[in-house]
Amino acid sequence: MNKAGVTPGETNIELQVSDDALLKRSARGDEEAFTQLYRRNQAQIYRFALRMTGQAWAAEEIVQDVFMTLVREPTKYDVARGSVGAFLYGVARNRVMKHLERQPREFSLEVKNTDGEVRAIELADERTPAHWAEIRERRERVRSAVLSLPPEFRETVVLCELEEMSYEEAAQALDCPIGTVRSRLHRGRALLLAKLEMLRELPKRASALR
Amino acid sequence: MMIFGDAKMNCEEFAISGLDRDLESGGSDSAAALEHVRNCPRCAALYERSLGLRSDLRELGQLTSEASAPSRVEMRLRQEFRTRHTTEKSRGRAVVASWLLAAAALILVATSLVPWRRGGRNVVATQQPSTPAAVHSVAMGPELGGTLIAENDGDEFALIPGVIPGMLDDTTVVRVQMERGSLGALGLSVNEERANDIVQVDLLLGADGQPQAYRLPQTSD
Repeated sequence: MNKAGVTPGETNIELQVSDDALLKRSARGDEEAFTQLYRRNQAQIYRFALRMTGQAWAAEEIVQDVFMTLVREPTKYDVARGSVGAFLYGVARNRVMKHLERQPREFSLEVKNTDGEVRAIELADERTPAHWAEIRERRERVRSAVLSLPPEFRETVVLCELEEMSYEEAAQALDCPIGTVRSRLHRGRALLLAKLEMLRELPKRASALR
Repeated sequence: MMIFGDAKMNCEEFAISGLDRDLESGGSDSAAALEHVRNCPRCAALYERSLGLRSDLRELGQLTSEASAPSRVEMRLRQEFRTRHTTEKSRGRAVVASWLLAAAALILVATSLVPWRRGGRNVVATQQPSTPAAVHSVAMGPELGGTLIAENDGDEFALIPGVIPGMLDDTTVVRVQMERGSLGALGLSVNEERANDIVQVDLLLGADGQPQAYRLPQTSD
């Protein structure tokens, strides 16, 4: 479950009804309703896109595309097929996959803030620069490893590990059986371990060659 | 395949089902995996790395847990929303306005046509049954002015002698001033004593421009 207490599938019925009502009002030209709907859902979509693409500009573009769909074609949403959140999530997934198809190897190692500027990772405590550098290096390795996973494994890892969704919630979001989520996650973790091992070994090999 | 002493799980089974577990959580499968890890240094190291990875991933998730789209995205979307719905509204208004205009034009045409048609029909309707009388009185009346005024009695036209009543479609009404004597040219009888009087006459002209009927308004006398 995410921080808002709502899965991309359907958990909070009250919120779903409210999202539906907001979407209907939005389709009739109520800008306030559209803004509320956007503010309620944008962060989750943005985080998913950011974690999947590793690029703040791409995540921004994807969020814009997703909500532009609501502006232009509000009738595309079918209440019988799930919540508005799940619909938006599905649209976001499609956009992410298209983006990854276009740029399969391109990812950034930078951590950017919400305004798209490069942000230094804040120190959680006053440790030595060497220790901080080590933490930063490890994070970058993990980040690189996640971004280099094939999309289907990457999104399972993002949902289950980074978003901390349960298997059931991830299965709803990905529209696949729980068993598929389990196996993809298992395979994704194994790939990550192998990649991290390889990344850890690279500097050693490089120094051995010198 | 590696099997260790009393452990019920081998390395392959551990890699498939034990590696993803929280071995401290309890349960028979967890206990078997834990037992395997205690006896297998290779799987223990793998398990350690797996725990480290999950911790790193969680940490990575925390780094972006507060991330949200920049405010400019909302601004752009709201702008697009406004533009789209304003355009739709103005388009709707334009459609309504054009329909209203069309309806107004139709009503105008109808209101201007109805009295004219009624007038035309009056000529036909009233003249058909009354034509013999009207023609008779026109033809026989020795004093044209008096006879005509009496015959027309308001807005009704009287047929000019020789005109067939059914041919009064597509006509135009023309008001003219003329000497009473000129009415003789239309085939009407004229009182010679008043031949020089100026009279106002409404003429109903046919499609060919020829007078078909006439009317002497009350004011002309």
